[in-house]
Amino acid sequence: MNRLAKKYLRPSQIPTKACHGCGIGMIENWLLQAIDEMGLKQDDVIFGTGIGCVGRQTFATWGGDNFGATHGRALAVATGLKLAQPDKKYLIVVGDGDAASIGTSHLIHAARRNLGVTVICEDNMGYESTGGQFSPTTPAGYVTNSSPYGMVEPGFDPCDVVKAAGATFVAETTATQWHQTVKIVKKALANDGFSFVHVRFPCNENFGAYALGTRDTLKNLEWIYEHTQGRKADGTDADFTWETGIKHDASNSRPEFSRLMRDMNARVKADMKAKQK
Amino acid sequence: MSTLAPAVSEQLVAPWVEWARRYTRGRRLLEAGTYALTEGAIAAGCRVFAGYPITPATDIAEYMSKRLPQVGGYYVQCEDELAGMHACAGASLGGLKAMTATSGPGYTLMHDAYGWSITNEIPLVVVDAMRVGPISGITGAPGQGEFYIARYASHGGNFETIVLSPSSVQEAFWLTIDAFNLAERFRTPVTILTDQVISDMWEDLFIPEDYDALDFVVPRKNNLMMPFYPVGSADLDVPPNVIGHGTGVCVSAYTHTEEGYDIEEMEAQWAQTYRLINKIRHHRDQLTRYETVGVEDADVIAVAYGANARTVKTGVLEARRRGVRAGFVRLITLWPFPDELFERDVPYVVCELNYDGQLVREVMRSAPDGKKVRFMGKSAELHTVAEVAAGLEGVARTGRIPELPYIWTEVR
Repeated sequence: MNRLAKKYLRPSQIPTKACHGCGIGMIENWLLQAIDEMGLKQDDVIFGTGIGCVGRQTFATWGGDNFGATHGRALAVATGLKLAQPDKKYLIVVGDGDAASIGTSHLIHAARRNLGVTVICEDNMGYESTGGQFSPTTPAGYVTNSSPYGMVEPGFDPCDVVKAAGATFVAETTATQWHQTVKIVKKALANDGFSFVHVRFPCNENFGAYALGTRDTLKNLEWIYEHTQGRKADGTDADFTWETGIKHDASNSRPEFSRLMRDMNARVKADMKAKQK
Repeated sequence: MSTLAPAVSEQLVAPWVEWARRYTRGRRLLEAGTYALTEGAIAAGCRVFAGYPITPATDIAEYMSKRLPQVGGYYVQCEDELAGMHACAGASLGGLKAMTATSGPGYTLMHDAYGWSITNEIPLVVVDAMRVGPISGITGAPGQGEFYIARYASHGGNFETIVLSPSSVQEAFWLTIDAFNLAERFRTPVTILTDQVISDMWEDLFIPEDYDALDFVVPRKNNLMMPFYPVGSADLDVPPNVIGHGTGVCVSAYTHTEEGYDIEEMEAQWAQTYRLINKIRHHRDQLTRYETVGVEDADVIAVAYGANARTVKTGVLEARRRGVRAGFVRLITLWPFPDELFERDVPYVVCELNYDGQLVREVMRSAPDGKKVRFMGKSAELHTVAEVAAGLEGVARTGRIPELPYIWTEVR
């Protein structure tokens, strides 16, 4: 077990049930590195997840307090929890289904409220734990088990959605960008407000096998890398490009949700006292 | 208070009989049911309300938005009812008592959070102010269509629920405190199944002056050590789990171990189910609240709950005036269902605000002879006193409910 896992995770709950070559464990290791470099302890961070590959494989791995919400509802739970426990850092580690589909209304409104949580959207571009169906982040035209003729719907970029909704920190990265991801997660956690980090990673068993034609982890990572560069290894253009990096940084520029609520309560209390005099 | 002749026995079995006797200093108001539900929650220590406005529960949200900041609490107007109840669950997990309020259309949306709260043993109170349906129905008319939905407030089975129903504005106040107490003691969500009439109706309301002095309020405690889930045990009064105190608690949607770890084994599934069902079943004696009138010598007994019980009770008294020995059972605890109230082998006439017949099926199941159970269903409007008296008189004298417009008697 590596040093960070020993320091922060639960020995009984790792390794996870993730498939061979899955990126979820690797990304979690990067999250631990960011937490460690910030000097945070287990008790400082509440770890929330949802349903699907990302929820199932990360739930209860964190050594501190954990919650695994029903599908899409992690941010709804966090909205209430933050009021009761405002001083904690929140890592909400969810998949593309949780964030970009079934729970998008909560994502939008958590961003609007500037809820003080960091959402790590670990995006494997489809519903992989149910066997590989397309999701709103599956690239158009790609074959999955529910888009056998290619995905005909347009997708959307969850970073655009949360930025428009008022998120104060928005970034995009991939499973091929270790150091960049660690730096981004540290910035996200340092924002006392709503931070969103979109991390694409390959699913080898389903998306890799059906959309890309291989279960080879390195080949699937290479496919992701090519799309961050806009160029394939053979020098030709990729079919599309993901612009990774920090998309929007307005960290600590407006009050966090639970702070707004407490400030209002202080004002109401003061007014009540003044009236009594 | 009683309008009855002394010969007729009258009994109210509920903890607030004693509370009302002991706490007599306070204010007497003319207020709405929604006000009473709100103040009951504040008195019980509720500090978070998260929900979505819906008629006829909206006034609870409005009252909460005013009252909670005054007591250091938080009102959150959510994007939908799913978010509302999940946010309440989150707040309760963080150590704050929480409540949400809705009507049927929102109540069904909450079942995702309801099941999550049941499994994770999260204390919460949910008010469902029922209106006639299905779906949006008539927003300003009462219904009693969620009797079974409140029992089965999640998919998947393997759980029991606690559901209470008030029939006056005053009772709504005390019953809300009781609901919070039961939620804490049983570590589970409790539904207050009320209706449009009780919510919107203005009535005489006594509010005790100092909520902090109410010694019967069960305070929130925090479970700071393993086991987080006493699976295989039916123990009451286990302190609720808390997130944010560094206990390492795990809360999830999955079948869990006592640590809260997800597990896919039959033994674990069985142990969790044993706990969720039997913590309620084994303590039914602490859950049953009801009112009866003259049941001991009755030849026919009317059964009702909620607002409808008001006119049904008067109908029973009218039948007695006409010489029919009629009795009355008003359920306050709807679930777990109080079978023991139907031990007498006499005809029961079940009056409820739906045509499909819900409560009547449980009375048929628990009565000594289900064939003697009669149904008087009505929709969108309370039974009139005349209808109830005619029904009771008909059953007592001919064994049948007479033909009455707007009353359905068939149960299929």
